[in-house]
Amino acid sequence: MAETSSPAPVRRALRVKPATREDKIFFGVSAAAGYSSLVFIVLILIFLGVQAWPTFVEQGVFEFVFGTGWSSNDVQYSIGPMLWGSVLVAALGVAMAVPMAISIAYFIEFMATPRIARAATLFVDLLAAIPSVIIGLWGLTIFSSVGAEWGEMISNTLGFIPIFSNEAGSFLRTPFIAGVVIAVMIVPIISSVTREIFSQIDGDLIKASIALGGNRESTFRKIILPVSASGITGGVLLGLGRALGETVAIFFVLNLIYDQFNWFAILEPAGGAIASLILSKFGEASPSEVSALLAAGVVLFILTLIINSIAAFIVAKAQPWNNR
Amino acid sequence: MNLEPVARPKSAEPWARTTNRARALQVLGSIIPIAVAAASWLLGGVDLIVAVIFILLPLLLVSIGVVGFILKGKRGAPDAALIVVTIFLGTFVMVLLMSVVWSLIEAGFSALSPHFIYQNNRYVTPTDPLEFGGVGHAIVGTLLVVSLSTLITVPLGVATGVYLTETRSKGRGFVRVIIQAMAGLPSVVAGLFIYSMFIVTGVSQYAGWLGALALVPLMLPTVARVTEESLKLVPQELRNGALGLGASSWKAFFQVTLPAARSGVVTAILLGVSRVVGETAPLLLTVFPIAETNWNVFNGGMATLPTYIYRFVNLGFDTAIARAWGAALVLMILVGILFGLARFVSRPKSLKKKKVKR
Repeated sequence: MAETSSPAPVRRALRVKPATREDKIFFGVSAAAGYSSLVFIVLILIFLGVQAWPTFVEQGVFEFVFGTGWSSNDVQYSIGPMLWGSVLVAALGVAMAVPMAISIAYFIEFMATPRIARAATLFVDLLAAIPSVIIGLWGLTIFSSVGAEWGEMISNTLGFIPIFSNEAGSFLRTPFIAGVVIAVMIVPIISSVTREIFSQIDGDLIKASIALGGNRESTFRKIILPVSASGITGGVLLGLGRALGETVAIFFVLNLIYDQFNWFAILEPAGGAIASLILSKFGEASPSEVSALLAAGVVLFILTLIINSIAAFIVAKAQPWNNR
Repeated sequence: MNLEPVARPKSAEPWARTTNRARALQVLGSIIPIAVAAASWLLGGVDLIVAVIFILLPLLLVSIGVVGFILKGKRGAPDAALIVVTIFLGTFVMVLLMSVVWSLIEAGFSALSPHFIYQNNRYVTPTDPLEFGGVGHAIVGTLLVVSLSTLITVPLGVATGVYLTETRSKGRGFVRVIIQAMAGLPSVVAGLFIYSMFIVTGVSQYAGWLGALALVPLMLPTVARVTEESLKLVPQELRNGALGLGASSWKAFFQVTLPAARSGVVTAILLGVSRVVGETAPLLLTVFPIAETNWNVFNGGMATLPTYIYRFVNLGFDTAIARAWGAALVLMILVGILFGLARFVSRPKSLKKKKVKR
């Protein structure tokens, strides 16, 4: 009888928007947190921009970004060689890393037995977690001498090509060595992204290719690569962003030259990197120099922001299953 | 009519079948080039790297190509090239990576000892032998800075994950792109940001909490993204069930969705921590390294493992480098523990199974 005596519960209206105060707070807080990342980026641009403004005004934006020379006595700052050096070293590292990373991913996904694949996946993911300062330490103490030997060998056999020429006589602290160190750093990163993409490829496509008489090579070239190309590109750009922002590892293994461009001679002990410039000059910088360093940070930030936005866009296009 | 799938024999992969002749040919085709290259290296005095690249690689390509041609005809040769190049490049970079790991283990363990873990560097000069001093102060500093950073980042990151999965707001795609872009924020820029915000403007001196703040934008994208992934794995039916029983959205989240995704969220936190624990540049710009133990994050300098490594590498003495390797091993063990914990926590596969069924 109790059922009939108690009043029927009030029928709740069907709503698609948060109705109660708690829900409004809940959604409000999560939205605020969601946009906090945007706030971070804007804050970074504002604070760095304000401090860097005097430099951009005094040096001129174009002269600062593309000119040469860095001298606190003459209050003349330009990061042209550093900017180019960053791009050169990162491009070198990525060019070496991509084939190797794809090889590892291909091996894990399509050649190895499940047990080896699991172990290798774990190992590669762990390698991706190695702090870059440790890679830099390895590059400085272990790899530098080996890399110098390789560089000398290349220069002796292929030195007639301007890229591989060397006039300094020393093969230590070259962009080539920095590039290899960067490659070692980003291979695990690119490789785990690529493996992830490979593992999402529809198995039926591959089976169909084999059933139609394709072999490994044609399946790879005509099915796997086209399907995963944009995903791999995104992973590569992420690695490129990491390479451009790398600070300590490059600082350890590269000779920074401020007053002239080293266009393509990757075996000369002369190069640059914006992040390493900031690190090397920061310790005893005069106020005007600090402003210039912050301006260099702004340039680096904008560069990586562009590359990463492109990467994010490409990856999002390549992984429609991630945008529910 | 009931259509049951026909049971398939286990070995229904005709392309995977091999014969003894094929195996023998494959083994022969790979052993001969290796033997020739090894002989030219050991007996002929050719440099190892030259022997590998200019003797082993072309010979392998030719011999495996011939084997592929014998076994599978015209289609076999490109296959062979693909396999050889894949394994060759993979092995090459694995050797480099193993060299990193091996030198870390070898040089690190020779510096490691109980007192290296708990002593600090007061009264220790860089040229002192390794019997004195250690990285205790740096371990303390790293733990303090990273914990503070974690305390700030985790609510922010998890709430961002919630925003990306639990709401139907229009801005999600945009926030997702922003977070992806932020994942590539150069660590040195994060350091410069905090430096220009607090130190240049005179709000604070170099201190541990500034370092913690500098790590926040580096850690946030990882936490947010992995949280998003793990919340996505929670079946929609669970949420709908809770809402259908009359729970409000926030109750449904805290009592149903979050407990269901707990292991994933913990994984997100651990991965975020392991991402920033080795960051060097931001700490160099915001925390002044000292040689003593400092328990106060809000006052005074503070040593951390990455900056310790950086400082001692820059000093350049053999003993200093040995100390840096020891600190590097301690740091890597820390990262390894976090990584192992993350793997262990994300192990229960109950959620993932449900996803497959769906």
